[in-house]
Amino acid sequence: MTVRRIIVEPRGLASLRLTLTVPLLSVLAALIIGGIFLWITGDNPLTVYGHMVDAAFGSSRGVSETLISATPLILTGLAAAIAFKMLVWNIGAEGQFLLGAIVAAGIAIAMGDGVPAVLAIPVVIMAGAIGGALWAAVSAVPRVYLGTNEIITTLMLNFIALNLMNYLIFGSNSPWRDPLVSTFPTGRPIPDGASLPRFFNRLDVGIFIAIAVAIFAWYLVNRTRWGFEVRVVGDSAETARYAGIQVPRKILGVFLISGAFAGLAGALFVAGPVGALDPRSLDLGLGFTGIIVAALARLNALAVIPVAILMGALNNAGPSLQSIGVPPEIVTMLQGAILIFAVGGEFFIANRLRRPELPPEVLAGEAAA
Amino acid sequence: MSDSTETLTVDLRDIHKQFYGVKANEGVNFQLRPGEVHALLGENGAGKSTLCSILAGLYRPDAGEMIIEGEPVVFKSPKDALAAGIGMVYQHFRLVPNLTVAENLALGHHNLGVMVDQKDLQRDATQLGERYGLPVDPTARIWQLSVGEQQRVEILKLLYRDAKVLILDEPTAVLTPQESQSLFSTMRQLTDEGRSVIFVSHKLHEVKQVSDRVSVMRQGQMVGEIDTADAEPKDLARMMVGRDLELPTRAEDDSTGQPMLVVRDLRVPGDRGLESVKGVSFEVRSGEVVGVAGVSGNGQRELAYGLVGLRRPTSGSVTLDGVDVTEENVLEHIRQGLAYIPQNRLGMGLSPGLTTEDNLGLKAFREAPYSKGRQLVPAAFKSRGKDLIEQYDIRGVVPGLPIRLLSGGNLQKALLAREVEMQPKILIARSPTRGLDVGATEAVRNSILRERSRGTGVLLMSEDLDELLALSDRLIVLYEGEIVGELTARMATAERLGLLMAGQRDEVAP
Repeated sequence: MTVRRIIVEPRGLASLRLTLTVPLLSVLAALIIGGIFLWITGDNPLTVYGHMVDAAFGSSRGVSETLISATPLILTGLAAAIAFKMLVWNIGAEGQFLLGAIVAAGIAIAMGDGVPAVLAIPVVIMAGAIGGALWAAVSAVPRVYLGTNEIITTLMLNFIALNLMNYLIFGSNSPWRDPLVSTFPTGRPIPDGASLPRFFNRLDVGIFIAIAVAIFAWYLVNRTRWGFEVRVVGDSAETARYAGIQVPRKILGVFLISGAFAGLAGALFVAGPVGALDPRSLDLGLGFTGIIVAALARLNALAVIPVAILMGALNNAGPSLQSIGVPPEIVTMLQGAILIFAVGGEFFIANRLRRPELPPEVLAGEAAA
Repeated sequence: MSDSTETLTVDLRDIHKQFYGVKANEGVNFQLRPGEVHALLGENGAGKSTLCSILAGLYRPDAGEMIIEGEPVVFKSPKDALAAGIGMVYQHFRLVPNLTVAENLALGHHNLGVMVDQKDLQRDATQLGERYGLPVDPTARIWQLSVGEQQRVEILKLLYRDAKVLILDEPTAVLTPQESQSLFSTMRQLTDEGRSVIFVSHKLHEVKQVSDRVSVMRQGQMVGEIDTADAEPKDLARMMVGRDLELPTRAEDDSTGQPMLVVRDLRVPGDRGLESVKGVSFEVRSGEVVGVAGVSGNGQRELAYGLVGLRRPTSGSVTLDGVDVTEENVLEHIRQGLAYIPQNRLGMGLSPGLTTEDNLGLKAFREAPYSKGRQLVPAAFKSRGKDLIEQYDIRGVVPGLPIRLLSGGNLQKALLAREVEMQPKILIARSPTRGLDVGATEAVRNSILRERSRGTGVLLMSEDLDELLALSDRLIVLYEGEIVGELTARMATAERLGLLMAGQRDEVAP
């Protein structure tokens, strides 16, 4: 009796074509699933998708709003990608993002109007990055030196960061709160000197900063000695120790850089489109969406850019759906579906299916039987 | 026993099995008669373990027939194989460390109900152990046992299930010579009862000593089957390798260089904080190979870690070419010219997911040509990698692919290439040929001897006595973290080393 079946086996190296095709197919599959859902609820999927594409890319305002949504996602995506690459499970980009926003807004308000933009903007941006890094350090230091679980600590710190922001605006008369608005509290506006210059509708220079950081992150990981050490640690910490690499220091460094990226996203968001520490505009889960971006980009820093633009487009298209009577939550559903298909698609990038090859005489014997 | 009319215990016909496109078994036929010890001989990667795992139900063949006691069978899992009376002792034991010996025997046994009487189990285990000369304490937990004792438990597990065919995959690799002898007498006793044993090995003298028949595999195919009595070791070796072998020869050279590695009263803690290396002193001079013998788990790992900077010694000193490095980190040891070949090639010596080129630069990446300041020079990794791959005959490298896809022999060649390229003053190697085929073993041993003649001091830690005896100028024996004997190459014999390894202190001066 001959046994035949389909064999699953690891693929050595997936071709570039495959690594590009699989994520695209994942997105397509998610759109089909979303389409079926829309069809069941009585909408024409093609109309809805057409409307979404139009809202995201169909006008100059659509394009600029999509890029505005993409900017923080590029950075939170990078925050997740660089950490996950090293098996540091920083899922606290959300909190680090908020702390970046809080610190950046605080510095901007403290500096006031007197400081020229060439000085104020870099200071505000740096402050955000440092704020995010310090918030990450709260998890990173005990992780590295005591072995605590960073998944739990970073997750918990997200809630603390959110409550801290709410307290500063809703719960106290802090300097962050706008004293002129008494009905519904919001943040004090960022002074003009510290606001990012706009150049295309509402789109500001933050998008260039985000893209520059993505290129920097790619270079750091792939073209520096430090990045080589990080890759070794991420692949095999034992080997890294053996090769004389100081593993704790590398993990700490990656963790802080990850936090800095997320904090930078917060700074760019308050100093850019939002213009104040406004909890309603900041509590969008951009840190968590960054995890989806990183996963879809397969932790590649450069791939984060187009993926973040795609996610930004979806975010941007959501609200416009209401005008045609479709619930905007469909966008959240689509993002979730894309992630699930992307994770499933990983399996086909990593493995291949094949039928066992049989020698001709066996095949002949089987045919005869 | 060679009566060909009686029913064969196992008859495997035209077995095919592929992994990742590699043909591990290609039309293999194998016959096992009742009551024989049948040795399965072959280099690593020849397909022995695959064939055995198919017979034991762990893998399913891509094609081929399996006939047990005259009946065609299909095994869907090891459970089916056990039900047919076939069991295997794998190289990596499959025991539950936190359970007792008796509990491990009972685990997965289909005859047991929900409630198990510990006393009954323990009594059965003791009786079985006594009967087959496999003494173990049934109440001991697995983690408390030595490797040799764990192996006994594995064999008892099969006997407890009344296995008729026992497959032992390289069982002597972890045993002292004395323990091996006692295993051989157990094997004899099993075959006297009509059971059959498949003895997988690549050690010719053991095969010659214990088996009735030998089947030899090479590159996934069965190249021959022969009665052991008619088999000359030389012929077996040729069948195994496909060519004549030359054993590496050590140039007799008594000129002692200056001490490259000086260890004084070194104490190193073990994983659980207890002292594992208990005050060890020795020297390795330029141009000599010092062998460290000992059953695994007697402090070799901790000694190596202490010497290379991976674990800080609690006291004592380590001096490399006159520089005290006791308190220094790994990087400082590397800078002082220490090369280290760890036992765990993939996962310690090599980073499995990185490319071969990256791995070859893993020790030297901090300097030119691999890096310029803080920047990496990818072109240097490529060109240096290409040179080393050619020079050290590392086969199977596809640029861009992770190194873990290479075979064991090629992994070791890559590791050795990198370490030797740094022109070390001291080379510490742990079981450098373990699991390698004859060809790769030859290459590795020759590089070690080349280092010796270059003036490197070599510390060779191995469980393979033949290797230690072939390569070492001097030997020290570790037992429970202490040096229990030191012998010159001329004084050392396998028997004498075996006694020392078992903890019997050498009273005779070396």
